[in-house]
Amino acid sequence: MSGVLEVPKTRINASMLSQYTNRAVCFVGRVEKVHPSGKSFTVSDGEGKVTTVELNEPLDEELSGAVEVVGMVSNKGAVMATTYTLLREDKGIPFDVELYNEALKVIHDFPQYYPFEGTTSG
Amino acid sequence: MTKLTEGAVEALSRGNSFQDPVLQLVNIRKIEAGSGPARFRLMMSDGLHTMSSFMLSTQLNHMIEEGNNLVPNCVCQLKKTVTNVLKDGRRVVVILNMDIVASAEDVGGKIGEPTPFFEGQNKAAQSAPNPAVRPLQQQNGHDAGRSFNRDFGKKAPSAMPSTPGGTGKIVPIASLNPYQSKWTIRARVTNKSSIRTWSNSRGDGKLFNIEIVDESGEIRVTGFNQEVDKFYGLIETGKVFYISKCSLKIANKQYSSLKNDYEMTLNGDSTIIPCDDGGDVPTVQCDFISIGDLESREKDSIVDVIGVCKSVDDVTRLTTKTNREVSKRTLNLMDTSGKLVTVTLWGEEAENFDGSGQPIVAIKGAKLSDFGGRSLSASFSSTLMVNPDIPEAHMLRGWYDKEGHAMDGQSLTEMRGGGGGGNTNWKSLSDVKNEHLGHGDKPDYYSCIATIVYLRKENCLYQACPSQECNKKVVDQQNGMFRCEKCDKEFPNFKYRLILAANIADYGDNQWVTCFQESAEAILGQNATYLGQLKDSDEAAFDEIFQRANFNTFVFRNRVKLETYNDESRIKATVMEVKPVDHREYSKRLIMDLRKLAAQ
Repeated sequence: MSGVLEVPKTRINASMLSQYTNRAVCFVGRVEKVHPSGKSFTVSDGEGKVTTVELNEPLDEELSGAVEVVGMVSNKGAVMATTYTLLREDKGIPFDVELYNEALKVIHDFPQYYPFEGTTSG
Repeated sequence: MTKLTEGAVEALSRGNSFQDPVLQLVNIRKIEAGSGPARFRLMMSDGLHTMSSFMLSTQLNHMIEEGNNLVPNCVCQLKKTVTNVLKDGRRVVVILNMDIVASAEDVGGKIGEPTPFFEGQNKAAQSAPNPAVRPLQQQNGHDAGRSFNRDFGKKAPSAMPSTPGGTGKIVPIASLNPYQSKWTIRARVTNKSSIRTWSNSRGDGKLFNIEIVDESGEIRVTGFNQEVDKFYGLIETGKVFYISKCSLKIANKQYSSLKNDYEMTLNGDSTIIPCDDGGDVPTVQCDFISIGDLESREKDSIVDVIGVCKSVDDVTRLTTKTNREVSKRTLNLMDTSGKLVTVTLWGEEAENFDGSGQPIVAIKGAKLSDFGGRSLSASFSSTLMVNPDIPEAHMLRGWYDKEGHAMDGQSLTEMRGGGGGGNTNWKSLSDVKNEHLGHGDKPDYYSCIATIVYLRKENCLYQACPSQECNKKVVDQQNGMFRCEKCDKEFPNFKYRLILAANIADYGDNQWVTCFQESAEAILGQNATYLGQLKDSDEAAFDEIFQRANFNTFVFRNRVKLETYNDESRIKATVMEVKPVDHREYSKRLIMDLRKLAAQ
C-alpha cells in the first residue's frame, strides 16, 4: 500500500467517496468515535457526513479533533488508511472543517485551475 | 410683609414683559371645560391694580386642584408668562410658570387697596365672550378670552378669531411659501439643535435649528443671534407651539433632509407661543428601516432606525484635524431582524447618553456609512430618542424581553479582523499600480496581504526628541546635548524611533513602503529602544532580527499618496497598520471572491 504515498491524492469529502473507489485519496474530518479495538474510527466531514477509517495496526494514542487521513477507498465506502496526521487543536489556529469543505468544493468545481493530477507527480 | 411688584399689572396688560413680578392672587374662577381639563381664570393684584384677565396654563392646574396652596390672598411670583392679544384688542396674560412665595395664611388679607385696571380687563367671568366660538371649542373648555382657540380635528384653516399674534387662521405647514407673510402654524418640535457659534471674516454669530411637524408636513426653522436669545429657552422638543411670521426661503438641501421645498428663518416679527393642547398634532414622523435592510441601502443615505441598545461603550475624546476636541461614543443597536449595527454619537449627545438597562433607542436622520461594512452616525441634524413613547418602541421592548435578549445578533459593522480602520478596501499590489491609487488629490487607503521581501536596516533608526508628544529628529550638539527645533529646547538624552523602509510583495507585484514606529516594531518584533541599543552594542544580533523578520506575511493597511518633493512627484506608500493574517477570514474572502468571479 505504500504505493499510495507516491501518487497525487485527491482531497475529497464523504459525498465523493463513491467516485473514488479503489483510488488514493486524502480525507480530512473530525474524529467522531473510535472503535474499542482501536483498528478503526469514524470521521465526520465539513458537511456532517460520517465515514469509517480502517487501520492496519491498532491505534496507540488518543484521537480527537481534526485529522487528515491518506489512504485508499474500499468497495464498501470506507477509507483504508495508510497514514494519518492529527491536526491538534491546542496548537495554533483550530482547524475549520466547514471552511475546508468550501475550499474543497471550489477545487472540484474548477479542476482546470487546480491541476493536481499532474502526469509528473510531485 | 411680602412686597408686591407695583405697576406689574399695568405693564403686563400693556403687553410689556416684566421680570418675575410678584402678585397677590385675589380670586380664582373655574371655567368649566366640558370634556377637557378645567381652566382657571385668576384675578391678580400688584397692590396698585387688580386684573382678572390672567389665565392659568393647564400644566399648572395641579396647583389649584391638588393641595390648598393656590388660594385667594396667597402671593405668587410669576416666572413665565405669555401675553396674548385678542382680536378686539383685549389682552390676556397666560401664566406658564409660577411659584407661591407666601401662603394665604401668612399674608392675612388683601395687600394694599388695588383698583381694577381698565385696559384689557374683564370683570365678569367670560365663558363665551367670543361670538365666533364654535361648539367644538368646548372640548378644551377655554373661555374664548384666551387666544388658544383650539382647532380640533383636521380642520386646518378655520376662522380663528383670536389666534396668537392676531394674524388669523392656522394654516398647514405644507401651504407655507415665501409669498405670504401673514400666517400662523401650529406644530410640534421634533428636533432642536444645540446653539452653534461661528466666527469668520464677516463677524461672529450664533444660530440654532429646529424641525417642526404638523398634520400636513414638516419644515426646518433657523434662528440667528437675537432670535437665539429670544426663543431658544422657550422651545422644547416634543412640545407644540403656535409659530407665526417667519421668513420663508428655498430649502438648502445640504443641511436638511426634511421633505419641504422651503425652510424658514425667525426674524424680529416672528412669534412662538406654546400651545397647551397639541394632542392631535403628530409627533416625530419616522420611517423606520429594519437594521437588516441597512445592508441594501446606499452609503451616505439618511435613515431612521429604532432598536434595542444591546451594548454601549464609554465616551472617548478625540482631536480632529482642526484641533477641535470632540466626544464620541459608540453603541450597538439590534432589532427583530437579529442584525446588529454600531451607531456613533458625538458631542453632548455622546456624553449624556445613558445606555444602561438596554433602552430602546430611535434615531431619525442618522447617516449610513460603509465603515466596517455598515454603520450609523448621529449627525448634528439627527434626532436621538431614548425609550420613545411610540408603538414601535413598545413592540421592540416586548420582543426583546421575550426572545431578543437571548440572541447574539449578527453585526453589520466589522469590529475586528480583516479590515483594520476605515473601509475594508482589499487590493492586490498590482491593482494598486493599475488603478493608480494615490494619484488623486486625496490619499487612498487600501488593505492587502503581502510578504516582506526586503528590509533596509541602514538608517532605520533616528534620534528623536524625548518629550512625550514630540517625535521630531533632534540635532546632536556634539556636547552631550541634543536640540529639538520644534520644542525649542535642549535635552541631555533622546529616544530612538524607527522609520523602516521595506519592500513587500504578493503574487502580482511588489511595493516599497515606509513603516513608522508602531508598524516597524510589529514587523521586527522588538521595540525601538532595544534595537537602538543592539545596533550600538551587538551588530550580529541586530542583523539577526532583520533576518528573522524577512519573508513574513502580514495584513497591511496602507496609505498611498502622490507627493511632490523638489519638483519631483512620486507615489509614497506608508504602512498605517500591520496585523497577522487571519487565515480563516482570508480563506472566506477568497472563496467568496472565487464564487463571484465564477458567476460572472
